[in-house]
Amino acid sequence: MSERTLSGTGVTPLSGVGTVVWYDQDVELDEPHAPEDVDTAAEQARFENAVATAREELQTERERTAEKVGESEAEIFDAHLQFLNDPQITDAVEESIDEGLPAEHATREGFQQGIEQLAAAGGRMAERTDDLRDIRDRLVRILADAERIDLSALPEGTVLLAEMLTPSDTAQLDPETVAGFATAEGGRTSHAAIFARSIGIPAVVGVGDDLLGVEADETVVVDGEAGDVIVDPSAETRERASERRDVEIRSDRVETADGKEIEVAANVGTLAELEGAVAQGADAIGLFRTEFLFLDREAPPDEDEQVDTYVEALDAFPEGRVVVRTLDVGGDKPIPYIEADEEDNPFLGMRGIRRSLGPDAELFETQIRALLRAGAVGDGDLAVMFPLVATVGEVEQALDVVEDVAGDLESEGVDYAMPELGVMIETPAAVFVGDALAERLDFFSIGTNDLAQYVMAASRQNEHVADLHDPSDPAVLRAIDRAVEAAHDGDIWIGMCGEMAGDPDLTELLIGLGLDELSMSAVTIPDVKANVVDVSTADARTLAETALRAATKDEVRAALSEDT
Amino acid sequence: MERTVTIVPEAGLHARPASKFVETANQFEAELQIATEDEEPVNARSMLGVSSLGVEHGEEVRLIADGDDAEAALDALEKVLTTPESEYDE
Repeated sequence: MSERTLSGTGVTPLSGVGTVVWYDQDVELDEPHAPEDVDTAAEQARFENAVATAREELQTERERTAEKVGESEAEIFDAHLQFLNDPQITDAVEESIDEGLPAEHATREGFQQGIEQLAAAGGRMAERTDDLRDIRDRLVRILADAERIDLSALPEGTVLLAEMLTPSDTAQLDPETVAGFATAEGGRTSHAAIFARSIGIPAVVGVGDDLLGVEADETVVVDGEAGDVIVDPSAETRERASERRDVEIRSDRVETADGKEIEVAANVGTLAELEGAVAQGADAIGLFRTEFLFLDREAPPDEDEQVDTYVEALDAFPEGRVVVRTLDVGGDKPIPYIEADEEDNPFLGMRGIRRSLGPDAELFETQIRALLRAGAVGDGDLAVMFPLVATVGEVEQALDVVEDVAGDLESEGVDYAMPELGVMIETPAAVFVGDALAERLDFFSIGTNDLAQYVMAASRQNEHVADLHDPSDPAVLRAIDRAVEAAHDGDIWIGMCGEMAGDPDLTELLIGLGLDELSMSAVTIPDVKANVVDVSTADARTLAETALRAATKDEVRAALSEDT
Repeated sequence: MERTVTIVPEAGLHARPASKFVETANQFEAELQIATEDEEPVNARSMLGVSSLGVEHGEEVRLIADGDDAEAALDALEKVLTTPESEYDE
């Protein structure tokens, strides 16, 4: 058979090749005996023993997850433990046993009512049904004495395939032996995806039912960059996939061959990713997204909770800088308790700083208070930046809020520290008034995904214009060049935190354009650091000048390939 | 023994407040139930029961206790329901 490709969502820009092991937790049960043949007392005892075993397993997995991934990820097990002890559910199971069902069948029946009840409650409660199913399946597996694949001891070169992976499953995977995993369900923000990013495992999620047709022992490539699972790959595809993992991780700062230091930083979207950033050798955090604090809950986090989170990030980089972006919602990121009108053009509407200075002013002030307080406590150096700035007026208003908050904290006698203040350069408007912005700020960080979207007038969401939406188009490169010039003329530093910064093929071009800092997904840091040390700034500048003179994207590509 | 309490935590009786409530109920011997105006009372030790009530911030609930330590249990549960989430110890 020839190679075939299944598409899903790639969650790490890594690829791996290996042999398929299927992880399937569905246990098939035989038809139950007639009720009169069931020894009710014995079945009750079996059920109690199974609950005790499940509790031990959960406690072990909780500890392991807290250690490997993080305390907040481990908290999911607390919910499981609580459901395990739930009298409403255990009563229902015991009732079914009394009616003459064996313990494993009674468990399925007893949990079913609870699952339906939660599903009927709707909204956020409905999500907890997954927790209940998880617990149910665990108990049934224990009762049926079904084999449990030990995920922590898979043979080297395994690619794990599963319908979905729970946090407890993923926490057991050893990146030394597992070449990658792919799941039929799940998205970029699923637990499995977050885990894959934080420890650097090639992973593709949300492949759909096609994945179920892949058989055990087949060879597959998991390409986390393209989001592909390639079954029965050609020798060439295999080789390309296995090439990428042998890059040295450097935890020291790097400079170009002629001695210009380039800060290589990580983009982080959850606390769990901090550890991965440190492990991949990040010098700093160049983009700390704060949306995760506000998503998946019914009320905003209060000031103290935010302080704790920001301090945790600062403590992870005692020698480095942590650039926190203030809440960036609107457009494609709805949050239940934040009221947002339907908009015809959400990407040109109420989002980023526009919301913080308007309907979300209160949330913004709380966030700034928390940030200034955290800056006084945490080890690293705090920097704060505002998203989607278009005018100098917006920046002045935001800076006024920071001033006012500092004044309040001062008069309350609360400790605080003034962070470096900057903006994301994402709109053509911000590029054009870059000189005026630089006078008022300490730094810029270019968000290339949005900048390309707005410069090219091509939506990130629309596949029909995906070809236009390319940060290496000369128009986008010239916008970047102009932003860098404005920053350096104003004596402030400028970084880049869009996808472009993490593309190792573009490292030399970006250094040539004059970027002082590059921030990316943790997994690409080793590749980019390895490239930085090979670059001479004079050659890089020549390359950048050629690219800036190019009339088309193809000419830019030609300049890049000539260079290598 | 009964008591009516207004819910203080912003998130209502979900997630952490619900866990805390169930945990607290488990520390007492008395039979404990919680009820909203329009639903049947549920076992206060049941995470499933308590969270399916879907109680929001500002809503009133009825706590029902029967047993030797009923009064102490009501005090403790009332405290959970009237403490903002930010003041939980941990």
